[in-house]
Amino acid sequence: MADHNSLGEGGQLSEGRSEAGPCDGTGECRACSRMLEALSAKVRSGGRLSAGEALTLYRQAPTHLLGQLAHQVRLRRHPEPIVTYIIDRNVNYTNVCVAKCNFCAFYRDVGAADGYVLGFEEIFRKIDETIAVGGGQLLLQGGHNPDLPIEWYEDLFRAVKGRYPSFKLHALSPPEILHIARLSQLAAREVIRRLVSAGLDSIPGGGAEILVDRVRRELHCHTKASADEWLDVMREAHRAGLRTTATMMYGTVETEEERIEHLLRLRALQDETGGFTAFITWSFQPEHTERGGVEATGVEYLRTLALARLVLDNVDNLQASWVTQGGKVGQLSLAFGANDMGSVMIEENVVRAAGAAYCMDELEIVANVEDAGFVPKRRNMHYEVLGDPIVRERDLPRMLALATAREPGDAAVPAELLRYEPRSRHEKARRRSPADE
Amino acid sequence: MTTGDLVQTAARRIGAGEPIPEAELRELAALRDVLGLGMLADSARRRVRGSRVSYLRVADVAGDREPSQPPPAAREVRLTGPFTSNEAACAAVRAAKAVAGSVPVSGWSLADLADVGAGAPLEERLASLREAGLDLLSEVPLDRLASPEETLDRAAAAGFTGIRLTVDRAPASARLDLLLLARRLASRTPAVAAVNPLPMVLSPFRPTTGYEDVRMVALARLAVPATVAVQVDWRRYGPKLAQVALTFGADDLDHVSADDGAAEGGRRTVLADVRRNIEAAGFEAIERDAFYRCL
Ligand code: SF4
Repeated sequence: MADHNSLGEGGQLSEGRSEAGPCDGTGECRACSRMLEALSAKVRSGGRLSAGEALTLYRQAPTHLLGQLAHQVRLRRHPEPIVTYIIDRNVNYTNVCVAKCNFCAFYRDVGAADGYVLGFEEIFRKIDETIAVGGGQLLLQGGHNPDLPIEWYEDLFRAVKGRYPSFKLHALSPPEILHIARLSQLAAREVIRRLVSAGLDSIPGGGAEILVDRVRRELHCHTKASADEWLDVMREAHRAGLRTTATMMYGTVETEEERIEHLLRLRALQDETGGFTAFITWSFQPEHTERGGVEATGVEYLRTLALARLVLDNVDNLQASWVTQGGKVGQLSLAFGANDMGSVMIEENVVRAAGAAYCMDELEIVANVEDAGFVPKRRNMHYEVLGDPIVRERDLPRMLALATAREPGDAAVPAELLRYEPRSRHEKARRRSPADE
Repeated sequence: MTTGDLVQTAARRIGAGEPIPEAELRELAALRDVLGLGMLADSARRRVRGSRVSYLRVADVAGDREPSQPPPAAREVRLTGPFTSNEAACAAVRAAKAVAGSVPVSGWSLADLADVGAGAPLEERLASLREAGLDLLSEVPLDRLASPEETLDRAAAAGFTGIRLTVDRAPASARLDLLLLARRLASRTPAVAAVNPLPMVLSPFRPTTGYEDVRMVALARLAVPATVAVQVDWRRYGPKLAQVALTFGADDLDHVSADDGAAEGGRRTVLADVRRNIEAAGFEAIERDAFYRCL
């Protein structure tokens, strides 16, 4: 935070000294303070930050100031002291994936002994458990499994909607949509149309990582979706009338400028479509990943969150990522621009695979929201308030650990998979083997 | 006083190095603006300590087991486990001293020593532990001392220094009074070196919250004299909360593992991570010894 930068024309960043006097290199000189004061005033008056201005704030503003500015912007959007959360379940229908992103600890190769695809009955059971604790939605995401054609998703969605007509499916991030499109040789628009008609309600913003192709190439996730492709799928989804979320996974190889570029690309699409309901950011979880390294710190998370609130001036809701930051920093997010505590989650597999195993049940989320001075309210995926906490209406058993997709060692192959033509050599061979005859 | 006046008055007092009167501290404790409180505490800590954050590498040794050689990086060997009898405690101290070499040995809670019903008076117990080689008391829990001033005086009289005042399990609502007690104790006993305002006993069913923790850290910084460090237990509270606490007035990280390669569970970190967290929060990391001397 010691470099002094001045704002050039159009808010672009230029190195050097400003008219306010020489920079003493501490970040606390008069020139720096004047610039921070000017930027704070701009934020307070509702002005839109440029890339250079955002970078200056991120690099030079003290953490409390960033938080206060973000909180003021949050209060402008949400004057009521309400913090929302959703009761849903984070289900990963398969961990088999051909994308092989090097930051991912969750995926398994095709044919791996611990690769799985959940059966429809398993998913129904998870839905029953979700409904039992007051939930009304699945967040359904998975690996890019070559043996699951579009018909598998359509049949699953129809089956879910047939059994649970009002239950919502917040499912399939843009790279999954693209994967299905490529497998079925259909346009993403057509995939979205077919999935919506089968029961898809909204699309989660996963797979965005950092929307800069240099970064995506380094993370080996460029082929699953380039930055433009990710945004294009979201554009199509918004045009089809779906609401979606947007995300950012930071803390790998991106520069601070690239983080801001990511936010600006989301802001531009939101200006165009208005389809994002919320933004969620989290830090890369390095354990058990090919990339490895260290996790960005809690203070960096709070600063990044606050910056997102300041830059994304057209996105209503910012979630706290307690699942990666833990309940305490998750709660402190409410002072740094977040107005939503995310999901009770019930189940989590992806972040846990990379070393984080935090858990908050509804009681704890509610206690944290109230302790921070806000009023907790349940919401749906559209961020419409559904009501007061379920724990206020009835006793729920305490949940001290999140469930997993499957018990370790459970390698059962669901019977209905046989209805779909396999694409991978491994699955074709498995089906030919005597054990399956 | 309006909130603005209250904060401005506190900022002025901090700038002038004046203590914040109890009534104003109580008003500050009632503020909902946790970031405003954090800003005040941060300016108080910067005035005293600049951007330095100290940390202490500790080797835990179970008091009821044969101790092994502590890692070379240990700056304190801390005996853990309950205080059962003076004889057993003295034996554990001697065994620990035998392997610790010149590394100071700490152990037990002053409240446990004071609590053990019949038997020798506290002064004798403290004296015999000192004689056995105990350098420091591990904890002086403010919420468990029946007569804090008197008990602390006895510990100081027995020659214990580097005293850290702790909180065992008092709820958040009771802790401001404990911080005010810490202020009184620190003002009358120069042996008090630090206050650790976050509970040592954690409940998995009702953990403390992030707001509660940073609020307590900030209030501790505003309450206790400038010479007293405000510390957070790195192992108990984890890197994320401990790091954020540094921006709310904490200036010392206690209980960092002395085993640099230690796997203290998936989310715990070793020395490089402690330093990285301190630096990523904008501070300068400085190792200290058990007596709060920078190394
Ligand atoms: S992040 Fe998703 S797409 Fe990438 S390897 Fe993991 S499961 Fe596959």
